[in-house]
Amino acid sequence: MSSVNKIALLAFCTALFMAGSAAAKPGTAAKGKEIYDKRCTWCHGAEGDGGGAAKDRLNPPPRDFTSGNYKIRSSDFADPTPNDDDVFRMIRDGMPGTAMPGWSDLLAEQDMWDLVAYVKSFAKYEKPPAKQVEYGTQIASSAESIEKGKKLFEDGDRCVECHGKTGKGSASKRLKGDAGERTWPRNLTKPWTFRGSNDPKDIYTRISTGIAGTEMPSFADPKSKKKLTDEERWHVANYVASLAKTDKKVNAENTVIKADMVEGELPNTPEDERWEKTTPTTFYTVPQIIGGERYFTPSNDTITVRAMYNNKMVAMLLEWDDRTKSIPGDDNAEKLADAPIAEDGVAVQLPVVIPHEMKKPYFGMGDAANPVNIWHWKSGTKDAAETINLLSSKGFKEIEKRDAAGVGLKAKAIYSDGTWKVIMTRPLTTSAADKDIQFVEGKFIPVAFAAWDGSNNGEKGSKHTMTTWYWLLLKPATGSKPLITALAIAGLFLGGLLWWARSATKKPAA
Amino acid sequence: MTQKRRIPRLLQLALIVIGVYFSFVLVFDVALHQLIPKSLLTMYMLFVVAGVMMVFTFTEEGAQELVGPIKALVEDPSKKMVRNIVFVIVPLLAGYYTYTKMVPSFEAPMELRTIHPAPPGKFKAFGKSFNLTTLENPYRKFQKEDPAKFAELVKAGGNVYIQNCQYCHGDKLDGRGPYASGLNPTPLNFQDVGTIAQLQESFLFWRIATGGPGLPAEAAPWISSMPVWQNFLTEDEIWKVILFLYDYTGRSPRSWANE
Ligand code: HEC
Ligand code: HEC
Ligand code: HEC
Repeated sequence: MSSVNKIALLAFCTALFMAGSAAAKPGTAAKGKEIYDKRCTWCHGAEGDGGGAAKDRLNPPPRDFTSGNYKIRSSDFADPTPNDDDVFRMIRDGMPGTAMPGWSDLLAEQDMWDLVAYVKSFAKYEKPPAKQVEYGTQIASSAESIEKGKKLFEDGDRCVECHGKTGKGSASKRLKGDAGERTWPRNLTKPWTFRGSNDPKDIYTRISTGIAGTEMPSFADPKSKKKLTDEERWHVANYVASLAKTDKKVNAENTVIKADMVEGELPNTPEDERWEKTTPTTFYTVPQIIGGERYFTPSNDTITVRAMYNNKMVAMLLEWDDRTKSIPGDDNAEKLADAPIAEDGVAVQLPVVIPHEMKKPYFGMGDAANPVNIWHWKSGTKDAAETINLLSSKGFKEIEKRDAAGVGLKAKAIYSDGTWKVIMTRPLTTSAADKDIQFVEGKFIPVAFAAWDGSNNGEKGSKHTMTTWYWLLLKPATGSKPLITALAIAGLFLGGLLWWARSATKKPAA
Repeated sequence: MTQKRRIPRLLQLALIVIGVYFSFVLVFDVALHQLIPKSLLTMYMLFVVAGVMMVFTFTEEGAQELVGPIKALVEDPSKKMVRNIVFVIVPLLAGYYTYTKMVPSFEAPMELRTIHPAPPGKFKAFGKSFNLTTLENPYRKFQKEDPAKFAELVKAGGNVYIQNCQYCHGDKLDGRGPYASGLNPTPLNFQDVGTIAQLQESFLFWRIATGGPGLPAEAAPWISSMPVWQNFLTEDEIWKVILFLYDYTGRSPRSWANE
């Protein structure tokens, strides 16, 4: 969510808080039906049961309103009835990370209140909820509160059980939603994927009510062994809000991976400290819905890339959050995976010839006249080590598998707490300039990426997530030339001006 | 003093040039939502400055009036303070400008592509040849002849859309589907007056059937993520989805009849 949206949301929440539910204009279900039948049936179905045409190609699936489940509500945990304001907010703002869009740009406010009335009628919710979430007194975020929150988050694996130690959602068990769909515990370091928001008050509300229709439980329920008091919930909320990882946030302006020139050897592991000093660039990955066998329900959503080079080699560090380490044959991995499990993987695509002008190879594995190189790493199985493959491709029907070791292409990976890090290195030049990209510093080199989560719904082969073309730049060392030239020019100007002033004042005034 | 106070000529000149500069930026960035390439802007501004200078120095007095303040700055002893300041600032600016020009730019190269290229007269899809000048949507006639049947066709088109297109073009047809921000160029916004409302149904059929790779070179087919739909949909389904695009956005296609 952009900061503007966040501010708007915040303003809205405050407004609601102050006005209470008096702000909710009563909507008319009959009017709501008209709008619903034009706009919402495609996904939610004419009967409101989530049976629209889109249902098989979306995860999370469109909500079945007859189930009465509302993920984002502020009524007491024991009462599933949502407030009108809760439903209104989801219709207006949409649910990030899902196909559910916000409607405020297309529908008038009254239309949306009418929809609230109609949508609620599918579960026969007529009365407002009897009780609301109790907030006690909000505890402002502080280092101390965050520390307390962290303890409670980890204590007895309270949240860790599902969200993992680092909050990235690397669960210790396989989770399902009420509609039978696979659910992934939220990656708490990516707050822009929250259905609600990552404002501490929103997080507080979610952990108080739980998330209906999923396995995320209420932590306000006194019957729960993991119950938290009001105060404790504020600490946890502050901790969760503090997890927002900024270098994994996409900056749409930044489309260039800048490789730094280094003296001496390049790193040969993902853990090398020098990576910390490089600039990360993050891209969204989207499911491959463009050619061949398509794939609609991804679990990975971004990839973060860093690069370095020296006078002989180039190294790239690829980092992406993947909740499951998919090692076929490994009991633990098999338990978490959708069968059949496949290896995790990542791939880098580069043109064989760096284009001079705009023309590039087709972003989907090149084309007949413009081949690409693909460096494809796979995580390995219980009995086989990780592998790196080199492919030359002229479109996805003409792929030549080549010897990676022959050109000096190497890869090494580590997985920890929901994140893969893979380093790939290759010499800048190879002996086959007609088949391999020859890296040159200072040129904008098209580059694209793909990733596979082998535990998710048969991700394999053409079923994967990917990016379109971006850029890799081996950043030339700037040197001192610009500074010296600039100083010389400034000196020249000053000299000229002084000379002019002198010659002018010498002249007798006309 | 009877003489009307005027803005000094030199300031006038500066104001005009600055004014033109901001109008360019405004028209491109705000009105056309398209960043104007720096090199292009520099070139335009060169012309503007040259033109304005020519107008201002057209007469002898005009020229005098323009350079007067500059000469005074150098010659008039009472302007010593201003002179010293100018003598520091000008060389600094020159140096700074040189520096920024010399430091290599790490900004991504601009990629200009034609969004709506001229379509071919004929094209191949579904194993046969289509003539774009005569191609029509076989279902369009039902809009008048049989509204109930038409509504059904639109609905069938909507189902095709929601199962295949919404990921990119969005279920509101606004080009902001869940994956739109991961694609460059971004999927087109059908609600916008600049897309399907300007186009004929036959053009859409060509675009949908042959997708990104079917584009001519000026439209940069190699970066378009628009799929080749003849691989996934039938001719029939494409005509229906076209009906849906116009129906949902409340727009009508351009047609030969209306030209
Ligand atoms: C492209 C498909 C799509 C369309 C069209 C759509 N939705 Fe949704 N909607 C979803 C999905 C998917 C979810 C479930 C998201 C989740 O569970 O995380 C959802 C969830 C919801 C929810 C549940 C909110 C909550 O707190 O759990 C409401 C209410 C809703 N939609 C209303 C609407 C209305 C009203 C419309 C029409 C104006 C509409 N939707 C159109 C896909 C869609
Ligand atoms: C049994 C597993 C489980 C446990 C335990 C659990 N969660 Fe969750 N959590 C989930 C799942 C699954 C989701 C995603 C639900 C969905 O699909 O929308 C989720 C979503 C969330 C969200 C996202 C809300 C939004 O707006 O999208 C937050 C925040 C969150 N959990 C915090 C916590 C905290 C804090 C704890 C511990 C106090 C916790 N969770 C414990 C399974 C769990
Ligand atoms: C993977 C994303 C993606 C999907 C899925 C997709 N498109 Fe596109 N579409 C694009 C992009 C990107 C463009 C803009 C680039 C271009 O012109 O090729 C585009 C352009 C178009 C255009 C050209 C509009 C104009 O003004 O010239 C039409 C028509 C179109 N899409 C229709 C469809 C239809 C119908 C579907 C579903 C059957 C669909 N698209 C599915 C990405 C997609």
